[in-house]
Amino acid sequence: MFDVLFIGLSLSSILLLVALGLAVTYGAMGIINMAHGEMVMLGAYVSVLANIWLGANLLVAIPIAFVVTALIGLVIERLVVRRLYGRLLDTLLATWGIAIILQQAIRLEFGLSFFGIHVKGLGSGLQNVPVPQALQGTVSILGQDLNAYRIFIVAMTLVLAVATWAVMYRTSLGMKVRAIIRNPGMAAACGIDVKRTNAITFALGSGLAGVAGVLMAGFKTVAPDMGATMVVDGFMVVVTGGVGSLFGTIAASGLLGEFNALVAMVSNDIIGRAAVFAVVICVILIKPAGLFTFKGR
Amino acid sequence: MLDLINLESYYGRSKALNGITLSIPKGEITGIAGRNGTGKTTLLKTIMGLTDDSSGQIRLSDKDLITCPTHERALSGIAYVPQGRGIIPEFTVRENILMGAFANRAGKRSIPEIVPELFPYLADNMSRPGGVLSGGQQQQLAIARALAAEPDVVLLDEPNEGIQPSIVEEIEAVILRMKDDLGLTVVLVEQNIGFLRRAASSFAMLEKGRVVEAGKIDALSDEMVERHMTI
Ligand SMILES: Nc1ncnc2c1ncn2[C@@H]1O[C@H](COP(=O)(O)OP(=O)(O)OP(=O)(O)O)[C@@H](O)[C@H]1O
Ligand SMILES: [Mg+2]
Repeated sequence: MFDVLFIGLSLSSILLLVALGLAVTYGAMGIINMAHGEMVMLGAYVSVLANIWLGANLLVAIPIAFVVTALIGLVIERLVVRRLYGRLLDTLLATWGIAIILQQAIRLEFGLSFFGIHVKGLGSGLQNVPVPQALQGTVSILGQDLNAYRIFIVAMTLVLAVATWAVMYRTSLGMKVRAIIRNPGMAAACGIDVKRTNAITFALGSGLAGVAGVLMAGFKTVAPDMGATMVVDGFMVVVTGGVGSLFGTIAASGLLGEFNALVAMVSNDIIGRAAVFAVVICVILIKPAGLFTFKGR
Repeated sequence: MLDLINLESYYGRSKALNGITLSIPKGEITGIAGRNGTGKTTLLKTIMGLTDDSSGQIRLSDKDLITCPTHERALSGIAYVPQGRGIIPEFTVRENILMGAFANRAGKRSIPEIVPELFPYLADNMSRPGGVLSGGQQQQLAIARALAAEPDVVLLDEPNEGIQPSIVEEIEAVILRMKDDLGLTVVLVEQNIGFLRRAASSFAMLEKGRVVEAGKIDALSDEMVERHMTI
């Protein structure tokens, strides 16, 4: 039982890293970013490529993936999303298009496969990344043998969640973001450059998703279409937790991750996922604004 | 100081300002009056760049702001106290005030020295969430936030609307001090003609998104008030 809860916790951790970015881009900017899952996928591929071409292990891949996906996020914001603020459905379609382009870019090895050039680590096949020696095996905590890599995932997420909290509640960037979430017009009238702040936020959220991708690569096979389910899961967390609530996002990640693991234990993974969908649907029916929302407005 | 030339403004496709030309003198209070829905709020929003689209000129010390995004207008020295006050309920009183300091051109991010003197209640309740304050206290907070920007011009939209009478007098006194002690240029949307006559040096009367009367405050006759403000 304890180990199932622990597996649930590691699933929750990944979910949280994916959902944090979505929660802020959706909450602050009113954007449905369907390409967010592809940041997870690209993060995972960064770890694949770093392993093959640089001999770098997962730990080294984490900061690289953060920077790479944050920059890609910044480019997407600049080129596409920025032009679509306030047009929810258009952002959905446009970013979905970007998601498909990114998936194909990996499948077609950035187009090089047309010229018969193949890049090891890319293409439509499955990839694997070895877990560093230090994170293999189990660690005994309170008489329980726990998978060391899953402990690492949880710890890494904890660090990043605390860092996100600190940025949001202890820096002037965070204050700007929170002001924009609540009242973009007033924020701008107070001298806050809303576009610039949004672009930075978008990039940071993409970076977190990239890190989630690296962490996933350690226990799942990496494939070009792995992001598609992640974005769905991320949005389920956001709507369950309540838009614009950091605490809600954390709580909903925990809830859905654990629930998934528990149901998967007594049945299987597919039923586990179906059960999560059922929970989310119930939450939306009973509390359409999510479990944890701002009072009033 | 602040010159509005042929301003037009839109919400979606509907035009809410129909060519407003108005000169706002430096260091004085200019009153804006008119019935409900005549475009007073829209005029202030247009100066801040918060409507969907606008044209004309907004000249502040000879720089035209019409194409500038809102935050640049704030950073040019215009602070805005909107009709709904625009307080962020979850932000503490301190955070709400410091939010205004993002537009401080000297980069000062602190509570203005004058705040404890003008608004002792705020100074004593810096850590309370803005949302729990009364309407009058929120109005004071919105003014304190504007002052944190150390602006040249302050746009005030019906600061006394829906506020308990005891605080109305305080707010009126603060508005006068903004002009007299801080040397600010004030654009004051106000329905209380008595207060406008006491405080403002000039006025503009709006009707259907147009200026129908404007001039020195002495020229604001009872007959004009009768014609343009009674329902
Ligand atoms: N957000 C909006 N979208 C569409 N139309 C609007 C919007 N805000 C105001 N209007 C319209 O613009 C016109 C001017 O409104 P405005 O709020 O500027 O009036 P006002 O003079 O400030 O009125 P009040 O005294 O009630 O505050 C009105 O016809 C109003 O219906
Ligand atoms: Mg109004």
